[in-house]
Amino acid sequence: MNLWDFIVDRWDRLLPEAALHASAVIQCTAIATVIGVAIGIGVYRSPAGSAVATALTSAILTVPSFALLGLLIPVLGLGVAPTVVALVLYALLPIVRNTIVGLSGVDIAITDAAKGIGMNRTRVLTRVELRLAWPAILAGIRVATQLLMGIAAIAAYAKGPGLGTEIFSGLVRAGSANATNQALAGTLGIIILALIVDGAFVLLGRLTIPRGIRD
Amino acid sequence: MTDQTTDSDQPGPADHTGVEITLENVTKRYPGQKAPAVDNVSMTLPAGQITVFVGPSGCGKTTTMKMINRLIEPTSGRIDLGGEDVLKIDPDRLRRKIGYAIQQAGLFPHMTVAQNVSVVPGLLGWDKKRTAARVEEMLDLVGLDPDFATRFPRQLSGGQQQRVGVARALAADPPVLLMDEPFGAVDPITRGNLQDELLRLQGELGKTIVFVTHDFDEAVKLGDRIAVLGARSKVLQFDTPEAILANPADDTVAGFVGAGASLKQLSLLRVRDVEFDRDKAITATLDDSVPELRERLTRGKLHFALVLDRRNRPVRWVHVRDLVSATSLAEAGKPVGDLVSLKSTLRDALEAILTEGGNAAVTGAKGEYLGTIGLETVTEAIAALREEYTDEPTTEGESA
Amino acid sequence: MTTVDTRARRAERMRMLGQPIAVVVIVGAVLVWAFSGELDSIEKANINAAKLLRDTWDHLVISFVVTAMVVVIAVPLGVIVTRTWARWAAPVVLGVATVGQAAPAIGVLVLFFLWTEWEGLWAAAIPIAVYSLLPVLRNTVVGIQSVEPALVEAGRGTGMSGSAVLRRIELPLAVPLILAGLRTSLVLAVGTATLGAFVNGGGLGLLIDTGYKLNRPTVLITGAVLAVGLALLVDWLGALAERWLGPKGLR
Repeated sequence: MNLWDFIVDRWDRLLPEAALHASAVIQCTAIATVIGVAIGIGVYRSPAGSAVATALTSAILTVPSFALLGLLIPVLGLGVAPTVVALVLYALLPIVRNTIVGLSGVDIAITDAAKGIGMNRTRVLTRVELRLAWPAILAGIRVATQLLMGIAAIAAYAKGPGLGTEIFSGLVRAGSANATNQALAGTLGIIILALIVDGAFVLLGRLTIPRGIRD
Repeated sequence: MTDQTTDSDQPGPADHTGVEITLENVTKRYPGQKAPAVDNVSMTLPAGQITVFVGPSGCGKTTTMKMINRLIEPTSGRIDLGGEDVLKIDPDRLRRKIGYAIQQAGLFPHMTVAQNVSVVPGLLGWDKKRTAARVEEMLDLVGLDPDFATRFPRQLSGGQQQRVGVARALAADPPVLLMDEPFGAVDPITRGNLQDELLRLQGELGKTIVFVTHDFDEAVKLGDRIAVLGARSKVLQFDTPEAILANPADDTVAGFVGAGASLKQLSLLRVRDVEFDRDKAITATLDDSVPELRERLTRGKLHFALVLDRRNRPVRWVHVRDLVSATSLAEAGKPVGDLVSLKSTLRDALEAILTEGGNAAVTGAKGEYLGTIGLETVTEAIAALREEYTDEPTTEGESA
Repeated sequence: MTTVDTRARRAERMRMLGQPIAVVVIVGAVLVWAFSGELDSIEKANINAAKLLRDTWDHLVISFVVTAMVVVIAVPLGVIVTRTWARWAAPVVLGVATVGQAAPAIGVLVLFFLWTEWEGLWAAAIPIAVYSLLPVLRNTVVGIQSVEPALVEAGRGTGMSGSAVLRRIELPLAVPLILAGLRTSLVLAVGTATLGAFVNGGGLGLLIDTGYKLNRPTVLITGAVLAVGLALLVDWLGALAERWLGPKGLR
């Protein structure tokens, strides 16, 4: 069976796997965005806080994903739980770092002007600073999704959802007729998903970044 | 600008080490562009002199210069360096014989000052001892302490970096030096000092220097000859600074020379070149009596006198009115503000005259009083200059 | 944006100090815990000094073979595509490398295994090298491209040949970026090497896999913590290298 026949034959299984893969990545990125931006807001005014947050999250990124997953299995068991925790942790670094960079990069003259016309702290943050930092934050989120696409494949080892399942079952069935097709379908599927999501981010950037601060 | 550092005049043609450069119908055409960047330029740059290419940005002056060391290859034409066709020399070997200094020095940031200066000697295969000795000599030549050798470029000020850039360009003692706006990125005061230094160096070395700038004042100050270049590097006028200032070849050159041409001419003349008043003013020493001086002033029908110290140096101006109530000449009147020396340019003299609000005192090498200079002397000098250059033909370099 | 820079440097300094301490404390604690417990025969077969050392050694060998391959391939390739005559190839090469990195590491590893049917060190090292190539390649290209044109011209102007300019100016000035890329590649390599166990390449992934499959959490945790410690340590060494191997004049 060639790859095309294989894909047509297993379409009813590959499609939901792709959907699960994408939704795991997107949902985990969403959770990481909420947590990461909150951390960024919490620490960006304090030089020491920013340094600690950046150092910690970049140390997490250094941890091999297979090792982190392995550590989570005894604690959280198999399936969705370890996958979500691992993915959220890995997504944190680019988001936290870019939030801090974006917020501390806002020109003081602009925030002073905002305070000067009578905005309070929260308003300055939500109406001015976060909006100006948004391109940087969005770039961080985009990097995070690309990262998670590959890590989610490894999560299939802990019975996580997604296209990684095809890759691992190809490995297990090495030598059998469809082993290569399975691994190939899984790998190519993830690449295609990554490209689609990346394209979606370009579009999202066009829609959400005010024209005045677009590059 | 102070007058002490500009004491080297143009080098005598006898002691130069530079060689003549000739450009013959040199053209540079970039593919895909209709008009050539440099169009059929011919000129002869005299050996051992500073020739300044000056012109608006984008006129092709840098391109013309870079064709001499073949950083840019001419499309057609011939360039000779001391009688040798540069197009027949291997470009890398050619460039080791031509010093090259550029804007912001172009120092290699990962190399120490010593390593930067020894780049060309290294390429020429000098041994370590000779190179080290040369580095020390070059640093001394450009006025930097030997302990700068181990520093990195980013630990130097802009002016110091430029000095190292010049030292690097001169390290292998090339007969020719190309300088592409080398002082363009430093502050005006440092630039003035660096220009003075360059003139001093040139006085010692007598290289053939090609200097590119868009600053006409810099061209007037440095150039033995100035080539005013127009679009596509067309030579609008090629002459001495004096001749160009006095008699611009056409409206474009005149526009470039700009307003204040007369003022610029004043930079070309020095106080010793003009007739200032050597004995017109009445002088007194600090110990002279007040009534006596008052009487001398009244007799001479003058208002001002100059008080000198024991070593004959001017210290105070006194008005005849000041002497009515004064008891000692050491306290009467006001201190002398701005002095002019024999080596000062007329431009400096004019400034001093205006600050002093009348005449300025002229002093000799040891600060001793020589005479005074007034506004009429300066205006006469301008008139004389103008007359001298009006009738001469001025365009020597030409471009067809 | 100098505040951003100083903050990044500060975070980096914190890791320089904190990372080795964290590694020693965590790895030490886990080893003490693992060795002091009651071990059954399977656990004893895995948790002993000889086995742990061998797996760690295998892991390091894969990582360094990968790094060597990355340096030998990516730096020359990056240099070539910045030469005038090959400049057109730069976007193509970078594009391919970028898509290559978008591929999941485990997918590349498994596919290489299925296609070649190799096992062991090279079956792990070659696909991991392909996967870790991009950071060094991209940083070499960017590092050389961002050397100021005026400096290259100053080099040519003083009479250096094209290759002398590359050797004495362009490459030394690109070294800080290349080292940063190498550090990223090294961390990717150590991380991905945990997957080497799937193609019989050995390494600390083996302990994780064994512990998981045979349901021995002690073995799993020991392997995972050693892998984490190794990754943090290698990253730390990379940071040291960045600091000490870069040209002095640029620090």
